[in-house]
Amino acid sequence: MTAVIHEQQAVPQPKQHGKPGGFLRHTNIVTGVLLGVILAVATYVIGGLLVPWGTEDSNFAQVGQEALIAATYAAWVIGFMIGIGAFAGPIRWWLGHDLTHADAEYMAGKDQGKWKYWKYTTDHKVVGIQYLVMAMALLGFGGLLAMLIRTELGVTWAEVFDPNFYNSIIGTHGIVMVIAMIIVVAGPLGNFIMPLMIGARDMAFPRLNALSFWLLFAAVPPLASNLLLGGIRDGWTVYQPLGTQAPVGMIGYQICIITFAFSTGIAGVNLITTIVTMRARGMTWNRVPIFVIGILAAAIMGLVWFPMYQYSQVLALSDFAFQSSFFIPQNGGSVWLYENLFWLLGHPEVYVIVIPATAALLELMVVFLRKPLFSYKIAVAGFAGVVGISSLVWVHHMYMTGWSPAAGYPFMLSTELISIPFGFLVLVMLGTIWRGKVWTRLPMMCVYAMIWNKIIGGITGVYLSDVPVDQYMHGSMFVVAHFHFMLMGAGLFGAMGAIAYWFPKMTGRMLNERIGSIGFWLSFFAFQLTFGSMFVAGLQGQPRRVLQFDNAFNVSNWLSTIGAYLIGVGMLIFLYAIITSWRSGQVAPSNPWGAKTLEWQTATPVPLENFPVLPVVTSDPYDYGVPDPYLAIEKKLSDENQDVTAGAR
Amino acid sequence: MFLTGNAGVRLSDGAKRGLLTVLTVFIGVLVVAGSVLFLGKNQQEPAVLAATVIGTASTPQGELPHATVELSIYPNPSSSVPGPVPVGSRIGDPRSANAPSGWPFYWPSTTLQLPANSLITMTVHQYDGSTTVWNNYFAKVHGTVDGTAIYNGKAQKEIEPDNVAHTFTIHQYAEVTQDGFFVSVPMLAVPSNAKNEANGYPKPQDITFSFITGDPGEYVWNCEDPCGYGYVNFGGVMSERGWMSGTVTVV
Amino acid sequence: MSIVDDRPAAGSDQPEEPTNRPDVTYRLREWLSRPYVRPILTMFVVFCLLVIPIGWLVVFFMNMSGAPASDIMSEIEKTILVFTIVSAPLMAITLTIIIYSLVGWGRVTGDEPPMQESPAIRSNAIGTYLWIGATSLLAAFLVIWGLVELATITASSYGSVSANQQPNAVKPIDVNVTGQQWLWSFEYPDQGKISNEVLVVPINTPIYFNVTSVDVIHSFWVVELGIKIDANPGAITNTGVTPNKLGNFNIRCAELCGMHHAYMETQIQVVTQDQFDSWVREMGGKRTV
Repeated sequence: MTAVIHEQQAVPQPKQHGKPGGFLRHTNIVTGVLLGVILAVATYVIGGLLVPWGTEDSNFAQVGQEALIAATYAAWVIGFMIGIGAFAGPIRWWLGHDLTHADAEYMAGKDQGKWKYWKYTTDHKVVGIQYLVMAMALLGFGGLLAMLIRTELGVTWAEVFDPNFYNSIIGTHGIVMVIAMIIVVAGPLGNFIMPLMIGARDMAFPRLNALSFWLLFAAVPPLASNLLLGGIRDGWTVYQPLGTQAPVGMIGYQICIITFAFSTGIAGVNLITTIVTMRARGMTWNRVPIFVIGILAAAIMGLVWFPMYQYSQVLALSDFAFQSSFFIPQNGGSVWLYENLFWLLGHPEVYVIVIPATAALLELMVVFLRKPLFSYKIAVAGFAGVVGISSLVWVHHMYMTGWSPAAGYPFMLSTELISIPFGFLVLVMLGTIWRGKVWTRLPMMCVYAMIWNKIIGGITGVYLSDVPVDQYMHGSMFVVAHFHFMLMGAGLFGAMGAIAYWFPKMTGRMLNERIGSIGFWLSFFAFQLTFGSMFVAGLQGQPRRVLQFDNAFNVSNWLSTIGAYLIGVGMLIFLYAIITSWRSGQVAPSNPWGAKTLEWQTATPVPLENFPVLPVVTSDPYDYGVPDPYLAIEKKLSDENQDVTAGAR
Repeated sequence: MFLTGNAGVRLSDGAKRGLLTVLTVFIGVLVVAGSVLFLGKNQQEPAVLAATVIGTASTPQGELPHATVELSIYPNPSSSVPGPVPVGSRIGDPRSANAPSGWPFYWPSTTLQLPANSLITMTVHQYDGSTTVWNNYFAKVHGTVDGTAIYNGKAQKEIEPDNVAHTFTIHQYAEVTQDGFFVSVPMLAVPSNAKNEANGYPKPQDITFSFITGDPGEYVWNCEDPCGYGYVNFGGVMSERGWMSGTVTVV
Repeated sequence: MSIVDDRPAAGSDQPEEPTNRPDVTYRLREWLSRPYVRPILTMFVVFCLLVIPIGWLVVFFMNMSGAPASDIMSEIEKTILVFTIVSAPLMAITLTIIIYSLVGWGRVTGDEPPMQESPAIRSNAIGTYLWIGATSLLAAFLVIWGLVELATITASSYGSVSANQQPNAVKPIDVNVTGQQWLWSFEYPDQGKISNEVLVVPINTPIYFNVTSVDVIHSFWVVELGIKIDANPGAITNTGVTPNKLGNFNIRCAELCGMHHAYMETQIQVVTQDQFDSWVREMGGKRTV
């Protein structure tokens, strides 16, 4: 790659008002939380005075309380965003004070040391680290809930938890894990690594980048607090009208999703714009690394479909707090409407989870096999096919609802069709592995784990896509095992590999591979035990979301629980590896893997401006490998065969 | 101190890391175990109410031990009957926050213990008014010895769906290998114009019914008449152990 | 690397082979002669054979509680078995490649990036077309099988013909299924509106279910007979089945419906026609003609 230096025209700067950063000098996570709590409490107290309590009808008091709690949660979100400084920019512009270059540098965290991670910082590297920590925290919380769930299912002779509490923890586990998995690759790696990979200085909308993270942060306390307010008592899908029977904890879920959808939408806009418009000179579409394509694909799907989920929760909140009847059949609503709105996102969402992890592993495989990516075009076609068809399959979650029995035919067709582009991705993975010398470092070994889990998840998905088979398996533990193989087996284990790969660039240290591998492989084999037994339980006929079940399923559940505990141990070991390496691991060189993508061509730790000079790209980053020795033989044989044929005429 | 220093054993980096790994796992295990114990079920449900054995009785299935249980259904707590006590430290308990004063409940407990292979006679004093049952199936008596229940002295197979205040319905089949067990008796409502007596409640309806238990097993029971809040009034108390639902252990 | 070259050596005293015969299989034979190909093909075949015990186990687990008890369940089990078998090659080739790659093409360990690089294969037309062709064929097979199967089962469930397309000799029985939190209740409108919490049906008689709910969404799952349909408030959904095995089987709720969702189980008792008639009389109903 050659470096080209451009003449910079001097841009006339607006007047500097106050110190660089202005209001943002005083805001950080503490002020955000404080203001959020204060505003929430104030809303609750003042609202409580406004709602006419003390009426005879206890039902009315309940109604008022639900609307009040909704207002309280909304006040928390708004207060937090004010306190963290999200409105500083628009207010300054309204006052006529444009942001100067010094302001922008302050906001990017220049010269603030570790403190910048606790503030509204726009630098994509800071946001990436924030997303990484948030994802790990959510995974930890969801993992704790999983341990509770498996304890209940393992204790087959008694109820460990109250049934309502159990229903709440399975629902909370589900949504916390789904949120964590959506952000775990696209958040840290899409933010930190992707701009570096395309040779940009930051993302297209740095302030929106900070906004998307802090909106996510604001969305989590309402969700977590649901357990303190009676729980959601419903699955992560929060089917209505069951949701309207829940206590007020349900509102926490709804406000969380409404806020999270804004966060995801903003992040999606940012990612797409960055990838489309800010690639380095010379990085044509044929030279874009496959990881970037995967992030683009996921961002497109998320941006288009997340509003459906958001709307479904807005309408559900309306039904819950204001007694409307979108989903209440007795008053003219439809339960099927909810299911459709939900699954219109619910299906693309699983691809939003799996595609980035797959793309990350495609990217890193190349480095550890020292081979070019097998058929880049097929990989891109695979991603494109998945994105396109993913919008057309959602009804396969609703085969058994009785909503439209005739719809089973076309949606079975589309669901089987999506396996073809998905198969392209597997082809590219296997083709890249074919005849490659494996450098057996941890990120590469994660690829093997991911491929194994993905193929099992994919094939069990084929069973479920068939309507007659689904007639037996829908709502059983078979479905639970299937999606855990896809989302956790392929998604999470893939994400762990991707994080292990980019760890040196993000943290400046090498991940301790001995401890990391022990944790990873213990989790992997325990995972097979846990969810393999769960397939068996499903085949035997155990429904899902039950805390007590027939004795026939006892053995499967004991094995699953033992496996789950071992997964917990393995994940804790991996977590320890991350923490200890981050704090005191071996210092990493700028390109420990000898990779060719742009992020490894800059220093570690990455400077604020990413590249001293923006790079110019002249080829794709897959220029590895030596000429294939068999090609010469083939050519020789072909020539000889030509002679033979020629001689025959 | 023992990890570094001159006086103690000096551990290698690897050993130190190993020890800290084990410590991390141990802390994780403690967190999980602590959560399970703190959030476990025993904090959630009222104390066990066991049936009192009063002798034997002859039934269509022969001579069986005879036990009795007495329950009351109150429409709301009052100074004389405080109702189920929400434990404030419980996570996930809406009752600890703002438990509305209008929640009906079974008293003194919803955790019942019955002897196996016995004739059980239950007497319920019902103080609450009516709500319409959604499914008329539950306005009928099921599972009792002779298919009837005695309402204020009169044996009936069913009552008016509009006069049902609550039901006492024991669920069949917690485990397929257990004996099936299904008892459902609708509870007659207090008339809407009844006056409150000194204790703050109107004159109760008295309902008595008998059924035969099978082999030991665990079952659950709940009310099937919508008396809670939320959608179709099946939220609130309808979904709370200790108020309108509980467990039946046949021992 | 050995090259297959079986032309007679120059100068030998064997009569010369006619040289005007083109050797169209030279590429295949060369490929087969590469050192990694035969081990991979062997592993592939072995892994394909593993489908036999796996398929057997899958059906074994499903049948543990008495399934199949209807034609529909038998069709479902057949479908699952067929899907397992046709997916075996895909699983096998994936497993083969990932295992072989750890042993057969060279491995590098160590902290430094490897010096030696692998063959720069950016594409392989034959492999790509083979894969795309095979997966497309597989998908097409699954789709066609699934569509035909769905049509068959639907006809068996809702139509007036039995699974093997014979007009029903026996008059079907209608059952109104009501799911509510947290119990199933069944009403027989044609047998004098008797109702019960346990489903009793005679063998070899088509049973049509009209399923609804009075509150939230439940799912009516008759496990060993292989039918399932959601019970939705405000709507009536339908399914049907002809039991062909006597015994007691399980009905479970397959959609989370609140606190006692796990306890929303009941039984379906498949009895002889005579036992059914006497049960109907016992319940105070009347036999329909």
